[in-house]
Amino acid sequence: MKSISKILMIVISLLSYTACTAQIKNSTTTTVAISGNCDMCKATIEKAGNDKNMAKVDWNKDTKKASITYDAKKTTLDVVLKKIALAGYDNEQFVAPDEVYAQLPGCCQYERAKKTAVVEKHSQSHDKGAAHDHSQHDGTTAPAETNELKPVFDRYFMLKDALVKSDGATAATKAKEFISTINAVQMEKLATKEHTVWMSVMKKLSGAATLIAETKNIAKQRNAFSNLSKDMYTLIAAAPQTAPVYYQHCPMYDDGKGAHWLSKEDAVKNPYYGATMLTCGKTVETISK
Amino acid sequence: MIIKQSIYKGIGLLVALLLGHPPNVSAQKVVRYDLYVKDTMVNYTGKEKRAIAVNGQIPMPTLTFTEGDTAEIWVHNQLNESTSLHWHGLFLPNKEDGVPNLTQMPIAPGTTHVYRFPIIQQGTHWYHSHSGLQEQIGMYGNFVMNKKADALNIRKGIDDLPTLPVVLSEWTDLKPENVHRMLHNANDWSALKKNAVQSYAEAAKAGHLNTKFKNEWKRMLAMDVSDVYYNKIFMNGQSESSFSAHQGKVLKAGDKVRLRISNGGASSYFWLRYAGGKMTVVATDGNDIAPVEVDRLIIAVSETYDIVLTIPEEGMAYELLATTEDRTNSASLYIGAGRKQLIAPLPRLKYFEGMKMMNGMMKMNGNLDDMGMKMSLNKMDMNVVMYPEITGAAPKKGDKKKMDMASGAHSMDDQYNSNALSDIVTLNYAMMKATEPTTLPEAPTRTLQFELTGNMNRYVWSMNNKVISETDKILVKKGENLRLVIYNNSMMRHPMHLHGHDFRVVNGQGAYAPLKNVIDIMPMETDTLEFNANVEGDWFFHCHILYHMMSGMGRIFTYENQAANPLIPNPKLAKRMLYADDRMPHFMIENDFASNGNDGMMMIQNTRWSVGTEWRLGYHAMHGYETETHIGRYIGKMQWLMPFIGFDWRYRKMGHGEVEKNLFGQKNTKDNRAQLSLGVEYTLPMLIRFQTEVYQDGNLRLQLMREDIPIAKRLRMSFMVNTDMEYMGGFKYILNRNFALSAHYDSDMGFGAGFTLGY
Repeated sequence: MKSISKILMIVISLLSYTACTAQIKNSTTTTVAISGNCDMCKATIEKAGNDKNMAKVDWNKDTKKASITYDAKKTTLDVVLKKIALAGYDNEQFVAPDEVYAQLPGCCQYERAKKTAVVEKHSQSHDKGAAHDHSQHDGTTAPAETNELKPVFDRYFMLKDALVKSDGATAATKAKEFISTINAVQMEKLATKEHTVWMSVMKKLSGAATLIAETKNIAKQRNAFSNLSKDMYTLIAAAPQTAPVYYQHCPMYDDGKGAHWLSKEDAVKNPYYGATMLTCGKTVETISK
Repeated sequence: MIIKQSIYKGIGLLVALLLGHPPNVSAQKVVRYDLYVKDTMVNYTGKEKRAIAVNGQIPMPTLTFTEGDTAEIWVHNQLNESTSLHWHGLFLPNKEDGVPNLTQMPIAPGTTHVYRFPIIQQGTHWYHSHSGLQEQIGMYGNFVMNKKADALNIRKGIDDLPTLPVVLSEWTDLKPENVHRMLHNANDWSALKKNAVQSYAEAAKAGHLNTKFKNEWKRMLAMDVSDVYYNKIFMNGQSESSFSAHQGKVLKAGDKVRLRISNGGASSYFWLRYAGGKMTVVATDGNDIAPVEVDRLIIAVSETYDIVLTIPEEGMAYELLATTEDRTNSASLYIGAGRKQLIAPLPRLKYFEGMKMMNGMMKMNGNLDDMGMKMSLNKMDMNVVMYPEITGAAPKKGDKKKMDMASGAHSMDDQYNSNALSDIVTLNYAMMKATEPTTLPEAPTRTLQFELTGNMNRYVWSMNNKVISETDKILVKKGENLRLVIYNNSMMRHPMHLHGHDFRVVNGQGAYAPLKNVIDIMPMETDTLEFNANVEGDWFFHCHILYHMMSGMGRIFTYENQAANPLIPNPKLAKRMLYADDRMPHFMIENDFASNGNDGMMMIQNTRWSVGTEWRLGYHAMHGYETETHIGRYIGKMQWLMPFIGFDWRYRKMGHGEVEKNLFGQKNTKDNRAQLSLGVEYTLPMLIRFQTEVYQDGNLRLQLMREDIPIAKRLRMSFMVNTDMEYMGGFKYILNRNFALSAHYDSDMGFGAGFTLGY
């Protein structure tokens, strides 16, 4: 008996030994920068990148760097990094899809390098700005008045698109971004009329947006969005944009009380019901300069 | 005019060089390619497998011409089997079309065949083997014809862009012959690999038990959007590749590129999506269309699309993702140089939603019911019910559906209209508009109606319920206009391809109907195509899913009083060889090695006939030995009915005076019994096979049986009961493609357990 148990012991220890060392063959180790915030990020990143006997990822939340060990004969660093990006984490080689990033828990939504927004702003303020601004402003403020509000409208449309898709996570993210664009508006650059309206709606806008940002519950978000849209309408009526904007109405929302929203397209994409009632509603007013 | 050819033999291409510059503009340039077709071993998945390479490469080399050239393509067959090359979508003399046994005899091993034809069109096309299943294992390549530099139809901002030809394809580690055989035997290994078995257990878990029940009641097998599991997906032979520079210049922000994309896959449709924004579609099947901006498009088997993509930002590359329609696999091409912006993968299909949708459409007699929706041109896609990105994620358990209040407010039409349901713009045929009028010449018009038919369970695919070998060629008068009205009454979509002609897709664009040579027709859709019959010859019109074509889904158009094809010296022999493709029998065998005996079956089947033998062999005389052989013919479109003649033999040692009686009191005393029989088998709802059989001694036997009831992903149940008071019930747990663990109880042999080997 004893000898059997001894043999067993040896076999077990041998097995566990091989299990421990059944590690990655032909191993290569590299250090790669991967964005992320917290321990939750660490778990997601490592789970995404690890591959039994082929790749092992060890991410450090302080340095934002991972040491990746992989079997160079069976896989490549790119394969590992692509999987990590598809889990939502930007890295040296790959940038995560926006939708996947938006699905990350709030604490994991690390600071992303700004992308397209920068390019857009530049081109906008140069060509369209100067041409007609002189005709409208009173000569004392800077010439770029309408464009000061453009980012606010842009974010609003993104938020609306997220609601059209019934995507609560993205809606929350976009609402957050909407709030920061509100805070970034330089009021002294607004024309007098716009300035007055802005002062009256600004608080309400960020209030409604905060409600959207704080939840992923799409029903609550839509409720707040209907209030937000009223104030956005007041704002755009005072500060029409170069491209036409359509004021649209859904008669069914909130037990038939109805609700409005603004859209860049004439075709109806209803943000209050998403796919179930996507084309319900109609354009009630076209607002343009 | 002096044309000197200097020929470089070797791995690369052999191109004729034009030396003297003739003063005459109309001088023809001969462009010569030499293609060496050879067996090769590839290793895409860690296993060495056979493939076919041309000039040492997979895909075959891209052949490039300019409108007005003469193509001269030398095919050197270094295989041990015959081959052929078909120039997909090209206008050419019939004998250059490359369909073995129809437009030429197969290119025998060790011989060389020269294809020579003038290039009289432009655009993105491709070429592939038309022999057997060679297309599946490497014989596909890009075929690009550029516009002349001074052509009037040059489009600035499109034809002058950096261009990359891309051919999509798939790879399976299984031999394609085996894939074909398994499809015909309704083997569900592919579904297992794709996690799409849709068993009762999975249905129950998803809250769709009733759906599954109804599905089997309507005699359907698990529904899927594609049949074959592939290990790898390729763009130009690679799963991941980059397009970062063109002619030595690195692509930068704001640059546009044009991709000439062909789907060289044997049976896969691909979704194309771009991480850098909208895609502009500028041509299809080699014909220019007015640019259309879309978020995504599905490219049917053998279609081609030209798309223009923009690189939005400096220092970035953007993923173009080609995902198989079943969403199990994909290939990526990164456009631009730098960090790679990925696009989110398509979420998994909601199979049970699809099953439910199919249940609603399927009538009890196997026909489809479109509920008056008049579907066409891919505008409505019933499959949207399975797309989470369009119709929302599958409800989690306990979630009450919140959609109810909305239903009714929607018209039936919008329910499946992908573009109305979401802000994702999906390309469909109605959105395509030719760049110039495509009206046909004034001529008498004849309308031909076709119904696409098929039977998933036995993998028989046909037109008007007849396969190629069961029909005559369709006679066409040169100069007449033909209008084809095609209705898909089968459960799968079919990419229908016409050789040698482009057809107009009648899509509401009037004179500007787009020209194509492949049209994807989804279940229940009706599409109308028109073309002018202007080139004599025998032209194939077939479904381009390789395994559907090989099963006989096609027709041949032939011109009245046309000249004989010099490449077909013996038309009768050629015809017989052509018909052999869909007449090919498929073989399967299975044996259960159990503790109480051996149970097994063997079957050889083709489109209409089935020869099957079952056996039960005990280990001693008391248990007995018996076999039953049935030779039957399947009747009807759904093939639920099969009359057969049979032969039974059995030997069983019975006790003294022991008499077996059946339910009808008929006696059976013989230990050694050999009987001829007549019978009929009918597939009942729930896919139960009901057999009625009368033996020569007057005995009657009725039997109910079903094998392979999908209980759980890998667990199958079977049962049998008959009026000879015999019964059997068992379980099988599938381990791999050929091997399963099994246990069953049999009224003759008692309980037994063992393993089942199958092929």
